[in-house]
Amino acid sequence: MAQCCASGNPFISDAEQPALQSRVLTAALTYRYSHSEQFYHDDSPYHDLNFSQTANVNYTELQLAYGVTKWLTVMGDLGYFFNKTLHTEGQDPMRGYGLGDAALYLKFNLYSNAKARFTISPSIGMKFPVGVFDQEVDNVKLPISVQPSSGSFKYLANVFISKGIAKKMALAGFVSYEYAQLIESENFYYKYGQQWIGALYFNYRIIKSLSLDLQLRNEYRAKAKRENQEIVESSGYDVVYFTPQLTYAFKHDWYLSAFGDIPIYKYYNGIQMSFGYALSLRLTRKIDFLTIRARRQANKQSE
Amino acid sequence: MNRIIVLLIISVAVLLSCTKEKTEKGAGDIQIHSLSCTLNPIEAWDTTLITVEATGSDLQYGWEANHGDFKGSGKTIKYAAGECCVGLNTITCRVFNGTGEVSDTIMIRVTTYYHPK
Repeated sequence: MAQCCASGNPFISDAEQPALQSRVLTAALTYRYSHSEQFYHDDSPYHDLNFSQTANVNYTELQLAYGVTKWLTVMGDLGYFFNKTLHTEGQDPMRGYGLGDAALYLKFNLYSNAKARFTISPSIGMKFPVGVFDQEVDNVKLPISVQPSSGSFKYLANVFISKGIAKKMALAGFVSYEYAQLIESENFYYKYGQQWIGALYFNYRIIKSLSLDLQLRNEYRAKAKRENQEIVESSGYDVVYFTPQLTYAFKHDWYLSAFGDIPIYKYYNGIQMSFGYALSLRLTRKIDFLTIRARRQANKQSE
Repeated sequence: MNRIIVLLIISVAVLLSCTKEKTEKGAGDIQIHSLSCTLNPIEAWDTTLITVEATGSDLQYGWEANHGDFKGSGKTIKYAAGECCVGLNTITCRVFNGTGEVSDTIMIRVTTYYHPK
């Protein structure tokens, strides 16, 4: 499956966050547009095809996270595709849309030293194929590449490490592993390759309410398998992205982030349509219930 | 509060682990006589025309491939598959009307487009 329309929700490359403090809720809504059009063979563009294809995806994701205790954060997200469209020259486009996958994570505050501004937050999670995987147009099933859901349960483990290095600067690292469960039905047998993501973040607070994140991220996916353990040679990739991000903090704990994914190195097994670019906007609201309660108590006492 | 969250997580996991199985319906007055294609095997991104011949009243046709995609709809359809779908692919045709549904499959081999020099 070409990565242009990789199955399941895209990895939202917003700078990862450590586990939340107890009784803190964050709600984030992300919109992402991505575009792809160039075929790749290994690490070079492949021009020997006698047709052209482009793909674009309009996607939104709702993410909720809650600090249950000071050491445990529960996080969930749900994706929705407004469209996942593949245009082939001279043909009607193929368009899938609808609910994608849902995910649930448990994030742990393994180590946190406020003085040293150092945190280690491992997490485990699971993705559920709750969305559409059998979309049809005129009784004709769309290909998997434009189906909104991946159709597969996936298991994830990752760790986020962050360290403040100066008053306004921080460095962070993120490593993630994803294992996809075999999809097996009467006429369908498919197993996505395992995925590794490694990212390095540099965070700089430009002014009090504006911060800049520069991210270098490597996404690797192994080849998929189909019937009889046959390896899908034109699947799997190794892509390095540069992701700049600006975040503005408004009053009352509202945050607005804008970021883009720009591939700086691409390697695709076989022949696949390669990822072009993605632009994202994220609106986040943070609610600290402990602070709210403390404020209310203080108000009562002053009355 | 913590217990409620843990219970909620377990409930969601259990609910979502249930999967639906698709079963074929009775034939009614429908009969499929043949399911054939013009070209087999095909190279990646080439097309083959698949046609189903069936009898019955007010027939409708549904198509599904485990790998690859279709152009068009109805009793004859164009099938193609890219490099992602090299291998022996199963195409399922459903013929249905108000009285029932019958399905049949055809296997089409897709070979690689890429021939290194």
